[in-house]
Amino acid sequence: MKFISRSDLSIILNELIGESRLIAPKKVGGVILYQPITDTSHITWDFTRPVLSIKESFFPATERLFTIDINGQEVTLKDTLPEIPQIILGVRPCDARGMKILDALFIDTPPRDSYFAQHRANTTIIGLSCQELGETCFCTSMDGSPTDPQGMDVMLTEIEDGYSVQIITEKGKKFFGDHLSLAYEEATPPSGTLDRPSAIPAPNDIDWPRNFHEAYWDQLAERCLSCRICAYICPTCRCFTVRDEPIASNDGMQQFERIRCWDACTSEAYRQIAGGHNPRQAKKQRLRNRIYCKFDFYPKQYGPIACTGCGRCVEMCPVNIDVTEVLRDLAEVTP
Amino acid sequence: MTFEPKIITFLCTWCSYTGADTAGIARLKSPSNIRAIRVPCSGRVAPEIIMKTFDQGADGVLVLGCHIGECHYDSGNHRTAKRLPILQSLMAFAGLEPERLHLDWVSASEGERFSRIVSEFTESVRLLGPARWKSENRQPRFDQTQLAIDRSYTFDQSSYSEEVERSISFTNNLQAKARELLSCGKVACVIGYEKGTHNRTRPVFIYTEDAVERLVWNKDCTHNLTVYLRRAIYPPLGKQNGEPGKSVAIVAKPCDSRAINVHLAGNHFQRDQVHVIGMACEGILDKQQQYRMDHILQERCLHCTERLPVIYDTLIGEPPANQVEPTTSARLYYLETLSPIERMDFWLSHFDRCIRCYACRQVCPMCDCPTCLFERDDSLWVGPGIRLDEKRIYHLGRAYHLAGKCVDCHECERVCPVNIPISLINSKLNLEMEKFFGYRAGEQAIPSPLLTILSGEERLP
Repeated sequence: MKFISRSDLSIILNELIGESRLIAPKKVGGVILYQPITDTSHITWDFTRPVLSIKESFFPATERLFTIDINGQEVTLKDTLPEIPQIILGVRPCDARGMKILDALFIDTPPRDSYFAQHRANTTIIGLSCQELGETCFCTSMDGSPTDPQGMDVMLTEIEDGYSVQIITEKGKKFFGDHLSLAYEEATPPSGTLDRPSAIPAPNDIDWPRNFHEAYWDQLAERCLSCRICAYICPTCRCFTVRDEPIASNDGMQQFERIRCWDACTSEAYRQIAGGHNPRQAKKQRLRNRIYCKFDFYPKQYGPIACTGCGRCVEMCPVNIDVTEVLRDLAEVTP
Repeated sequence: MTFEPKIITFLCTWCSYTGADTAGIARLKSPSNIRAIRVPCSGRVAPEIIMKTFDQGADGVLVLGCHIGECHYDSGNHRTAKRLPILQSLMAFAGLEPERLHLDWVSASEGERFSRIVSEFTESVRLLGPARWKSENRQPRFDQTQLAIDRSYTFDQSSYSEEVERSISFTNNLQAKARELLSCGKVACVIGYEKGTHNRTRPVFIYTEDAVERLVWNKDCTHNLTVYLRRAIYPPLGKQNGEPGKSVAIVAKPCDSRAINVHLAGNHFQRDQVHVIGMACEGILDKQQQYRMDHILQERCLHCTERLPVIYDTLIGEPPANQVEPTTSARLYYLETLSPIERMDFWLSHFDRCIRCYACRQVCPMCDCPTCLFERDDSLWVGPGIRLDEKRIYHLGRAYHLAGKCVDCHECERVCPVNIPISLINSKLNLEMEKFFGYRAGEQAIPSPLLTILSGEERLP
């Protein structure tokens, strides 16, 4: 196992800042977020889990897909694929695995999403294993683990004054490049002695459809506010809406952009169709859809469960709708 | 080259637009900087239009309407007269120089007055220089990462054991009352609090006597439950279909009780449809863990002087012995001392983090439009983009819509996942409402002055 000190890692990062976009945890306005970094001194090194997942770096909240120029009779479309390479530092195992889960939909299942795929190809993920589980973490119940390197290019594990380095992919090797000599041999292996909580009982794929009509959903959804926190902070929620918007015109030329923006199935207007009909008008239908999407629909359509157990939604929900409690309750009511 | 400001004027078609014509016929000189937009009434100039005008690069906005008493629609300009000063305070708080937005009255015959007002306004904007409102290509930087909350105004903290005793006794009384109300069929449902997971307290709806034991009261009962009230009484579409509506009991803190009054003023339900179980409140604990451990109150509670609900049918607890001296938020005071440009950077750097999850709106008991203006499919006011301009117009627009309705419960700020100090804007507008109209939302069940015409005794702000 290799070892690299924090200052040596900063040196490597500083050299790369010019050519790549560096994204790392940073404290802004009292919260820790993954933010573009221009100086490694702004990085927050000690953190449990940033508020927002790294999803944003692959699937931005608003992304321009292409521009539309109208000049008299002439209409020109120009696509705007992301080009800048990016490095994300300090990605927790749950978030890295979240991207693998999204790959199943965006890349592995046709049609391939070229924007997401390009972001993925451009990005090096420097992961950071977890030393302890947070208050609301439940990754171990979702096939994850605090030391799971899936989806990372490099996995760091904190040791005193530095990190043990586990290079996982070619991209990871390239990141260290000539600097691999900086990372010198170190005998201490990363500690694997974490207390694992017992797995949360959950319904199996036969039981999920049976629970669909449970009166339970009425009861659960009563306090739901239909906000979008759970979907927007989730590493695997990926619904979006697409719209053409005008751009301030120059020289009488009409210019528009096609953008895609995050959307959430928990919001009221999500399923509204022309004419005003809304097939998911009731709160309960929308909340139920989100849970089913994660644990039933997504695995059946694309393979993996669309939940990494990061626990963000459990922590952030303003009215304490706790997905682990929902799973437990459903496992209980199932005959 | 001297700076030529871009000025947008909104002219009422019945008076000011004709006034401009009169000026033209009289061959009076007016500056060529103005772009006139003809509107049916000055009351039709929505605040979002003005904000969008600045977003798109205007240096100044002038709104001209008929003199009070001469409105073609009787009272359209009363609304302008009341609303524009509030918008001006709001935009000034967000970092615009207030002189860039001006409201005046010009009648059809006052060509000379039109020419004078326009010239004076153009000159004053020219002196101010280009507006820096447009956030395009701007990296908001504000060093103050987070404003410190002044926690020196803490109340006498009762000792831990006393507090536990108090919440047990409150819980018992609450459960007894709920059981009584449900058993005699007076109410169909009790909205209260229950223990949640991870040591949280959360809203609960109690329909049967068996379930009454779930109700609790403690210092974590932060949610403003009145957000559920309207739908609990009239289920969706119930009112349109002429259903009579249910009677509902609700657990209300003093701040929440004011929200009930605002609903009553809006005629959303009748007084006898809601049984208010008022709680004598000594403040709610801060959501942040380190403050929680030390039993430190939320900021709003530090400045709250109301210890008893303004409206209740049952009161649980005793009024506290000592009165609380009113204090203003140190954060608000600090922001007021900043220069406009610093304030703008402050807000842009905060709005930058917004993800438009709309939790602030969904949790707000006063945000109850069937379709939010900022979520219209036609992107009339703001598109679906999650970008700085859209975020700012959403936050400022929402704050403006809540002027005269906001009861300062600060739920919006509590639920914000990225810690935007949203409630500061609302608190600021609440102070302005008090200053201009002597009105505090929800103290009584009367409508906001922003919704009514100017009364005889009301002075123009």
